[in-house]
Amino acid sequence: MRSFSEYNPIVIAVFFFSVAGVVMFSVNPAFSSVSLAGAVLLFTVMNGRKRLKLHLWLFTLFIILALANPLVSHNGRTVLFVLNDNPVTLEALLYGVNSAAMLVGTIYWFSSFTHIMTAEKLLYITGAFSPKISLVLSMALRFVPMFRTQAKKVSDAQKAMGLFKEDSIIDDIRGYMRIFSILITWALENGITTADSMTARGYGIGRRTVFSRFRFTAADIVFLAVNIILLGVCSFGGMNMHFSFYPDITLSAEKIPAIAGTSAYILLVLMPVIIETEVTVKWKYLQSKI
Amino acid sequence: MEILAVEDMTFTYPKCSKPAVDGVSFTVDSGSFIVLCGATGSGKSTLLRMLKRELSPLGELSGEVRFCGKPLAELSERSAAADIGFVMQSPEQQIVTDKVWHELAFGLENLGVPQSDIARRTAEMASYFGIGAWYGKDTSELSGGQKQLLSLASVLVMQPKLLILDEPTAQLDPIAAADFIATLKRLNQELGLTIIMAEHRLEDVVPVCSRLMVMENGRLIANAPAEEVIVSLRERPDILCGMPAASRLYAKLEEQGRSPLSVRDGRKYIEENFFNSVRAVKVEKSEVSSTPALEYKDVYFRYSKNSPDILSGLELKVYKGEIFCMLGGNGSGKTTSLKAAAGLVKAYSGSIKVFGKKLKDYKNRSLYRECLAFLPQDVQTVFLKNTVKEELDEVGADISGFPFDFSGLMDKHPYDLSGGQQQLTALAKVLAAKPKLLLLDEPTKGLDASAKLEFMGVLRKLRENGTTVVVVTHDVEFAALCADRCALFFGGQIVSAGGPAEFFSENSFYTTSISRMTRGIFDNAVTVEAAVELCRLNGRRNGSVSDKKPTSA
Repeated sequence: MRSFSEYNPIVIAVFFFSVAGVVMFSVNPAFSSVSLAGAVLLFTVMNGRKRLKLHLWLFTLFIILALANPLVSHNGRTVLFVLNDNPVTLEALLYGVNSAAMLVGTIYWFSSFTHIMTAEKLLYITGAFSPKISLVLSMALRFVPMFRTQAKKVSDAQKAMGLFKEDSIIDDIRGYMRIFSILITWALENGITTADSMTARGYGIGRRTVFSRFRFTAADIVFLAVNIILLGVCSFGGMNMHFSFYPDITLSAEKIPAIAGTSAYILLVLMPVIIETEVTVKWKYLQSKI
Repeated sequence: MEILAVEDMTFTYPKCSKPAVDGVSFTVDSGSFIVLCGATGSGKSTLLRMLKRELSPLGELSGEVRFCGKPLAELSERSAAADIGFVMQSPEQQIVTDKVWHELAFGLENLGVPQSDIARRTAEMASYFGIGAWYGKDTSELSGGQKQLLSLASVLVMQPKLLILDEPTAQLDPIAAADFIATLKRLNQELGLTIIMAEHRLEDVVPVCSRLMVMENGRLIANAPAEEVIVSLRERPDILCGMPAASRLYAKLEEQGRSPLSVRDGRKYIEENFFNSVRAVKVEKSEVSSTPALEYKDVYFRYSKNSPDILSGLELKVYKGEIFCMLGGNGSGKTTSLKAAAGLVKAYSGSIKVFGKKLKDYKNRSLYRECLAFLPQDVQTVFLKNTVKEELDEVGADISGFPFDFSGLMDKHPYDLSGGQQQLTALAKVLAAKPKLLLLDEPTKGLDASAKLEFMGVLRKLRENGTTVVVVTHDVEFAALCADRCALFFGGQIVSAGGPAEFFSENSFYTTSISRMTRGIFDNAVTVEAAVELCRLNGRRNGSVSDKKPTSA
């Protein structure tokens, strides 16, 4: 019983790139509306009532994006009204709504993605491609907070010694530059010890293994397989649906692939929500038994 | 069984005329715990690095090192990396990766150990060291003591046969240092791990070691069990000053025999050998002025809205011209109180006065001109230039009256100085602003015993010139020797304060080893000197070598 965020990072990454990829590479209101709805649903399931501000921001963004297109683009046959001698058309408005849904949906996907994907998980994914880059990134992640603390310490020490003598900005900037220069020296000095500590523990004597706390379990494989099958059906459906907004809104599609593709996408988008719900329900059930 | 043998090793750094290690020979039996001591620059680090092939410096080398019967140069890369573990001084800089679990796995990854084995061995090591609770944390969130423990664990996970440590506790506070040494003792006793450790804080480590080696100018001048080494070095106060209090006491009173090392043995030695009819020495009350130099009135401080109070109702007066030591555990608010006085953090309630004037009335940073100076814990943060000379010239420091000779250091980079030299250079730099109130945060951290004595001398000289000194320290021995008044910090306020003799004889745990050793025998002996004087006054039980006959038994 694992919640979605505990699945193997590679599986999670594949999922997010699939759902976002499908909408990004197709102009299709069916997909973009499903994507938006699914993204909001997952975000709400994961965050509950927290981060309401983000909803508000993205809603505003949605409105702005949807309204911007008909003001700029005047293609389309159905004129709704004329503004400053420019026709505002229904087609352009719907096109705007579609692209807004696509964009806002993708933003929702990515905010869920960054919430789930901690630095550690990203490193694991990089490690799968290049162990060396992964190690360098890990060292960088170690170094940044260390540099920041040292910078604060040096600046405090200098302040208490009266480095910034007058209350003037130029003097302050000069002081900060000197601090920065000594921090570079400090970092280089640091690097020698770190390098010693690495060679002392046998860095560079042969092929490294990459250790991580993540495993591929049966559930991961099932998820990945289902994900790939659904993605295949989606792309097949998507290729058989041609949607155009201008000059008229037209949909030329074969019925069965279109229905199959859309339902596959709905299922794909809902996968994490299904997992989360299952976990919650199971917990409730277990708790009531206890 | 012999695990390591060093034969007549001499090593000279390039462009140096004098060898750093000079004709050193010794052997190490497996399962022994060896402590290597000696003044800064005596060649300890160089010697230790010569024992770890990957870290050996370049230079001219003669002699041989054999590890498990094989010359060091002939070991396979894998065996050289895994079988000899090396832990360095700095807790911050020897950690390579961002996560605790990754740091533990790092060495095994390098050796190409399969995933499942790494998982087992890191898990095992984490539970042995009690790291389990912070296994998933970022390494930057750990305390200094935790970092050092992690460095130790991440070396041990490679299952070394020999563990070398180069002053591993120098950057730790005494409590974390004692924990670290207790862990080493456990490793030595439970796993039979062979340990060689360079150290200058000998109080905790000498009682547990099986052999004590002393180095001086690159030569090994002693190599025997600690009890014997101490007696043979009784004419050398410069080396003895770092030893445990019990043995310093013994070395002052006896000429031969086996020295006691721990508080327990020291106590037994005093009880068995000396009368105690004279219970206390007279303590001279030092004259203290009644004008406060620094005054805290009901000060409260916290870092953010939802965090707990770090200072809660701090009330304290430090008088002009005294050396005032604040002691207390980690997180009790000692350092924060100094930062508040230096204006680096702002109290949300209460007032702080410096020389009778409120902090906020010091406009335009005038607080830092000829008034107050703060020397932070990490003195490296004080330096901004490439040489000591530039450092001192920058602030126009007048070093002619300073009781320390800087002439040999002028052209060196401040980062290349030893801990004690860095401390004094930073002090000289800070004193350039001619402060009347000096705030010091852990000034004795990382100093060896003789550097500490030197530093104490400098502080006393400053006091004579009328400077008020406030010291935050963990070092009770230092406080007992140099403070006019001491205070115990707990829970963001001062819970007790007084002159060192009464302060430390009232405390039963937070006190010097001599005070613990003489509790119930003498009344207010907190320093070795006082205890020696009392022992001499009372005379011996067998009456053989006594300076004065006891008046009553």
